[in-house]
Amino acid sequence: MSRAGLVAARLLQIVPTFLAIGAVVFVLARLLPGDPVSAMLGDRATEEAVTRLRAQMGLDQPLWTQFLLFAGRMLHGDFGTSIALRIPVTTAVAERLPATLMLTALATVLAISIAVPLAFLAATQAGRWPDTLIRVAFQVGLSSPIFYVGLLLLTVFAAGLRWFPVGGYGDGVAGHLYHLLLPALTLALSFSAVIMRNLRAAILEVLQAEFVDFARSKGLSRRVVLFRHVLRNALLSTVTLVGLHVGALLGGAVITESVFAVPGVGRLMVDSIFARDYPVIQALTLVLAVIVSLAFLVTDLVQMWLDPRVAR
Amino acid sequence: MRRTLLRTGFAALIAAGILVVPQATDAATRGGKMIYARYADSLFLDPVLNDANTDIWVLTNLYDTLLAPTKDGLGVQPGLATKWDSSADAKALTLTLRPGVKFADGSPLTAGDVKWSLDRARDPKAGAWSGSLASIDGIEASGDTVRIALKHPDPTIIPALATFNAAILSQKLFEAAPGETPEDKARAFAEKPVGSGPFILTAWQRGVSMTLRRNPHYWKPAEDGKPLPYLDELEFQIIPDDATRLLKLKAGEIDGTEFVPYARVKELQADPSLRMELWPSTRVTFLTMFAGATYKDGKPNPMANPKVRQALNYAVNKDAVIGITTLGLGKPMRSFMSATTPLFAGQDLYKHDPAKARALLAEAGFARGFETSILALSGNADEANNLAIVQQMWGQVGVKLRIDLVDNATRTARYRAEDFAMRTSLWTNDISDPSQVTSYAAYYPNIHSLHSQWRDERVDELFVKSQQETDPAARAAQYKEIQERFCAAPPVVFLYETPYPVAFRKQAQGFVQIPLGNNLFEAAFVDK
Repeated sequence: MSRAGLVAARLLQIVPTFLAIGAVVFVLARLLPGDPVSAMLGDRATEEAVTRLRAQMGLDQPLWTQFLLFAGRMLHGDFGTSIALRIPVTTAVAERLPATLMLTALATVLAISIAVPLAFLAATQAGRWPDTLIRVAFQVGLSSPIFYVGLLLLTVFAAGLRWFPVGGYGDGVAGHLYHLLLPALTLALSFSAVIMRNLRAAILEVLQAEFVDFARSKGLSRRVVLFRHVLRNALLSTVTLVGLHVGALLGGAVITESVFAVPGVGRLMVDSIFARDYPVIQALTLVLAVIVSLAFLVTDLVQMWLDPRVAR
Repeated sequence: MRRTLLRTGFAALIAAGILVVPQATDAATRGGKMIYARYADSLFLDPVLNDANTDIWVLTNLYDTLLAPTKDGLGVQPGLATKWDSSADAKALTLTLRPGVKFADGSPLTAGDVKWSLDRARDPKAGAWSGSLASIDGIEASGDTVRIALKHPDPTIIPALATFNAAILSQKLFEAAPGETPEDKARAFAEKPVGSGPFILTAWQRGVSMTLRRNPHYWKPAEDGKPLPYLDELEFQIIPDDATRLLKLKAGEIDGTEFVPYARVKELQADPSLRMELWPSTRVTFLTMFAGATYKDGKPNPMANPKVRQALNYAVNKDAVIGITTLGLGKPMRSFMSATTPLFAGQDLYKHDPAKARALLAEAGFARGFETSILALSGNADEANNLAIVQQMWGQVGVKLRIDLVDNATRTARYRAEDFAMRTSLWTNDISDPSQVTSYAAYYPNIHSLHSQWRDERVDELFVKSQQETDPAARAAQYKEIQERFCAAPPVVFLYETPYPVAFRKQAQGFVQIPLGNNLFEAAFVDK
């Protein structure tokens, strides 16, 4: 399949995925005990207040009526109004999405920039002290809870050394990047450990491959062999890993966003689940599903570029 | 007289170590900006249609009410009205409006606005709070006078007029808001609210920050006779994580913050650059017990027996719970309402006595104890601490407690369905009157006494009487009896009351949090 064909086919696949996820999340949200009314009115609600509000919100309608309404609106791009925030869901999501996307992208870039060179170094020095040191350091990174790493970085680099602000989001793109650097680093530390281990193993495996011996015997320089042949082939599985990990990264953003007071969709999602804010839960799940689908598409394209055989 | 009493009351609280407030300062600084960090953002800034403390506690900075709660939360003081008189039959109230009050846009606040706002607030379709104004029969407005006719004498109407939902809005501005229906207009208005309070909302980035500017038309003068508020700008930053809020405070990036975890209070008290403030609150923490004869699934309920409920109270060492969870900052509950509630009639309740607990359990036929369960909030450290201790203490008298961790919406749903054995509970008053807490905790018809199904017909009768009792002494006696009867075999396990822990940088002063929780920034300032 051509590259354009693949992109078109994959984009078309997103549509049924979208509908299926829409239906699943619609049901799942309603399977949670309690409903928006009990979340909103809380413990003090009287029976009549609850009945009145449920009717106002259409929650007294049969589930399938509610679903048809939701699906119909969704096809028109209307996700309804947030129950807790009382603003259009699209506004709520649009306000929060950029912060999370920026945080996730920055974390991915940081993770790759940390992991790739070190994996390369560890693999080429396999079994020697740089390898051991790198592996031990990353093991610690991998096993530290995100909120703990986050607080540690905040305490040392923000509150202590004052190099960075203690949380928040700042103004303007430069301000956002500055504020997001520590939270992105927090997310990147554990992620880079995953990439590093995978890539190191892949490089070691590729180094054993016959085509590497062949390339060496052709008289290619060590540099060319390592970068053009070894790294390129080893990166294949790493790219898949990075693509698959975008979802996990978005999940990790939930905690990071709370610790660093970043107004992203992670926090919005948690708040919405607690508030049983169905319209927001539904819209956010769909948006995140699209992002993950697109990340998979990009992963495939990168793989095709690294190894044209993938396209065939 | 009232002022002296108030001062004495405050002095007593300070002496008791409950209230730690800043000492009087020489002179307040005018101008400048204060940044205050909150744990969660507001949701809906409409005084009538909101439902959360995150809204209620900041509304006072934007809107005024006819009367205002006093700082000790026990009474009312003039607000937009300077004078209020009750008729001889106590079925009418005449209020005189303060002359020359303007909304933040410069338009005058009229008696017509008062009538319109109160009519909106008391409309039963309008929201969860309309009940507080339900006794109003009709409102007449003319000139600077507002006459409120009551269906029956109502001792709670005065404090109700000092409660957030009775805030006065500009009818003209509200109706000019975009939207077809009143709900649409309310939504639009609450995005850009304009009231007559000390501040006006100028920017709101949801989940990030709220910026309030001083209202140049605010009516209240400072001690020096010049107008309040002192601050030009007040910014609320939303920082959900406790530790991050405190790091920001210590780094000087914010001036103050709410909800300091109890475990950090001592540390902040010792920091010379900070000031830890513990404001008396109406906040009580307890466990609610289902007291109906059988559970939802038809099984018999041991807690239906009053002796079992007493035993469970005797088995808990409240001082130990207070020491461990609140690090000594709490005080044992002495009634179902806080000691800061008007007409509180507290007594020392259920001094720790495991032997007595065992004896009561034996009398009730549970000599070998029983197993029960409690719904608690997952991720809530205070509840986890409380229950770990209670679980261990009850274990000593043979009662085995299973802790079911759930989220708030789940706990509320099971609570409202009366499908629980026990649950963790917390209460704060919204009104300077004992009627609200009593209607939920002890008066059966409202919500079956905390959905426990506990019922005492004498309490119900006393409560109904007290709602129309115009003789303060008689009403106090009614409340004394209600509290005694409730506490005799309560559907709750009493734990503690706690203050609101708030921390500020030394330079930031003048903030007040009243026992109802309202955050008052009108006299707040930051020294240069």
